[in-house]
Amino acid sequence: MAVTMTLDPIEQLNEDEKRKYIKGKKLGEGTYANVYLGHSRQDPSQLVAIKKIKVQQQYQDGMAPDAVRELKYLRELHHPNIISLLSVFSSKDQNLNLVLEYLPLGDLEMLIRDVDRVRYGAGDIKAWMGMLTRAVWFCHDNFVLHRDIKPNNLLIAADGEVKLADFGLARSFADPGRRMTANVITRWYRPPELLFGARHYGGAADIWSVGMVFAELIIRAPFLAGNTEVEQISLICKHIGTPTEDNWPGVTRLREYTVPSEVVPVWGKEAYMGRFGAVGADGVDLLVRTVALDPKKRITAREMLEHRWWRTDPKPTRKEDLPRKSGGGAEEKMGADLKRRNGILEDEANNSNSRGAKVARKLDFGQGK
Amino acid sequence: MATEDARYRQTSQYELWSFSPTQLADMREKTNAAARARIAERLSSLPALSNNTSTPASSVNTPDPDGASAPALPEFLTAAEEAQLVTFFTSELLRAGDHAEMTDEIKATAAAFFRRFYVTNSIMTYPPQEMLIVALFFGCKAEGSFVSISDFVKTFGKDNPEEVLAGEFLLCQGLRFAIDVKHPFRALRGALMELAALPDVDRARLGAAETRAREILRFSPLITDAYFHYTPSQIMLAALSLADRGLAERLITETFHHVTPPPDSGADTPSASGTDAPSSKKPTARSGEDKAQIIGCHLRDKVLGTIEACRDMLAKELPERREHWTNKAVIKAQITPLRKKLNKCRDPERWNLVELQRARRQQAAKKADSEDGDPDDRGEAGNSLQSDAAVFGDPLTASARDTKRRKVLSNGKGLDDPFGGPL
Ligand SMILES: Nc1ncnc2c1ncn2[C@@H]1O[C@H](COP(=O)(O)OP(=O)(O)OP(=O)(O)O)[C@@H](O)[C@H]1O
Ligand SMILES: [Mg+2]
Repeated sequence: MAVTMTLDPIEQLNEDEKRKYIKGKKLGEGTYANVYLGHSRQDPSQLVAIKKIKVQQQYQDGMAPDAVRELKYLRELHHPNIISLLSVFSSKDQNLNLVLEYLPLGDLEMLIRDVDRVRYGAGDIKAWMGMLTRAVWFCHDNFVLHRDIKPNNLLIAADGEVKLADFGLARSFADPGRRMTANVITRWYRPPELLFGARHYGGAADIWSVGMVFAELIIRAPFLAGNTEVEQISLICKHIGTPTEDNWPGVTRLREYTVPSEVVPVWGKEAYMGRFGAVGADGVDLLVRTVALDPKKRITAREMLEHRWWRTDPKPTRKEDLPRKSGGGAEEKMGADLKRRNGILEDEANNSNSRGAKVARKLDFGQGK
Repeated sequence: MATEDARYRQTSQYELWSFSPTQLADMREKTNAAARARIAERLSSLPALSNNTSTPASSVNTPDPDGASAPALPEFLTAAEEAQLVTFFTSELLRAGDHAEMTDEIKATAAAFFRRFYVTNSIMTYPPQEMLIVALFFGCKAEGSFVSISDFVKTFGKDNPEEVLAGEFLLCQGLRFAIDVKHPFRALRGALMELAALPDVDRARLGAAETRAREILRFSPLITDAYFHYTPSQIMLAALSLADRGLAERLITETFHHVTPPPDSGADTPSASGTDAPSSKKPTARSGEDKAQIIGCHLRDKVLGTIEACRDMLAKELPERREHWTNKAVIKAQITPLRKKLNKCRDPERWNLVELQRARRQQAAKKADSEDGDPDDRGEAGNSLQSDAAVFGDPLTASARDTKRRKVLSNGKGLDDPFGGPL
């Protein structure tokens, strides 16, 4: 067979797609992909991230599950808070390349962790949580479970918009009756039903993760950071309450149900006020609803969006005015001398970057729906 | 229904894989013509065509007085013949899926993959018998079921995983990387719940309708072009109507009873009248109950017309036709001759998937001797068939999608509402 092969129409189409972008330096490396900066050939000012799926040595069965899932769901989900897939092409060696919108401002984890240089307050948390909740609502409304929600999968666009990324573990809601794997979601963000090995679960699993992100944004450290699954369960029991037949009918029948012998009653809202009170009583109310032990009683994404917290003061910060990761120069100066309490700032009117810190917050989020 | 259809217009199924019957026929003609031209060229550039294996008989029987010049080209399949073979192989795919006890969703997704692939690729170019197995394998993955390739091929009594793997990427590319297929099964479940909630619907009747409708959905839309022309809810209603016309009409009446005034075209039929049509169908008048009712009726008639057309399409391949496609006499009379013809006009450069992949990789390795740079970024010198792109017209290049995406890229959305789109 001739090695210089001519192109069929579908191959030509692929070449054309590929030629629209120029690949630049490497931005980072994940478990199953390398990510490169790229730009449009036509307009070099338009930046993109090109995620080139690695050929995996240990996976012998063709296209890897992460790649298939990411491709499947990102291709369909179009929402401002979900990373956009702009194009897909294959390179000559049959590697899949996903062209994603370029999100230059890091991820939420970077902001949470950089306690010394990044200051933020309740209005900022409200804005980030609002964007996350919308993304999750949209997934669920399209029958998609993300199954890996955590701060480092929440990337930040140049304008401050938070984008849910990494759909490598996503799947469609199963028919009632079909089994799913319980082995998903990074441990610290994994809900009790999965830790107990449930094979039937739904959107509530993601909501737990959302709750863990919410808590982490407030205390600026992972809320329940177990080193093992057993430890994760005992942390949940200790800090949220022990799952029992009383608060969660049916839980003892889950395959891997085991809890520490000392039963801790489920903590009420008041118990959270000390540590999480910075988001106000309404914020705490929302938080507590996201971490209901029984997934049936957990708040849904839609109900979250209807919660009164979004409408109470402080208003969510405009995305342009949200704090940004450090390293970009003079950005952090403004908030440097503000006092912190519980890891978050009391005065969130002044804490953002120099550009728009004092801009009046006109937005009334949650109102427009 | 209106919101569901609005959402449907954002799917890749609508964006890339919905066509009017005319568009689809046109694309198939173009695919066929382009494949003929390419295969002819490739066959004649083969060094030793005169004693090529595909024409040994002719060279014996009709000695060429002029020597080995002007090699005889095989007779090619027509677009209609290709379509018939694709339908036959879709039936084979469904049987293979049954044999492997795959779920309805997997079989349906695989069938849709297979038929989509052969809209823009000729059956003379890539081997359908192999590609149907590839479609089933990738269908499993697309539906979230990740089986090992060796177990998978064993189910089919084969031991050639390379062949399936070699076709996977090809299939995926042929699908234009849109691997989410929307099926009517979920809509059927919803419809049945709605009907069950009505006070006067007989349970037994509903049960019977459900069984029959599901049976139809498992076969008829998959083996016809229904997925290209109709939305999942339209297909569902057509199947329900075939199962129990009264119930389907009842459902439609109930739905339109609530339409006052329609927020958007509830009669959205993306494809029956062309992918570009929906915008023109939006109701313009929005004031007044009367108008709303007129529009409601108008929409209902439109919906009914579309569903009737879909029903006719499904009626041509009712589940009882499964036997037709395995009937020995039918195969002997209609399929075997086509397959014989196909054996003689295959694309010499594409037919062997494993070889094809090997050649591709070789080519890639040659170009990528220095990994630091980017093998992908270099220009494509020496691609002689630039003209192939020109053969393919607009539907394939999906310019609408491209402009939409470019807009997203350039203006950064500029939404005022921090939550983006409305709930
Ligand atoms: N759209 C993007 N814009 C800018 N940088 C990105 C983008 N996507 C990914 N990156 C960068 O590339 C790195 C690798 O991303 P990738 O999603 O492949 O893996 P990961 O999420 O970091 O790790 P894992 O695969 O283990 O989840 C990220 O850490 C990030 O720095
Ligand atoms: Mg990740």
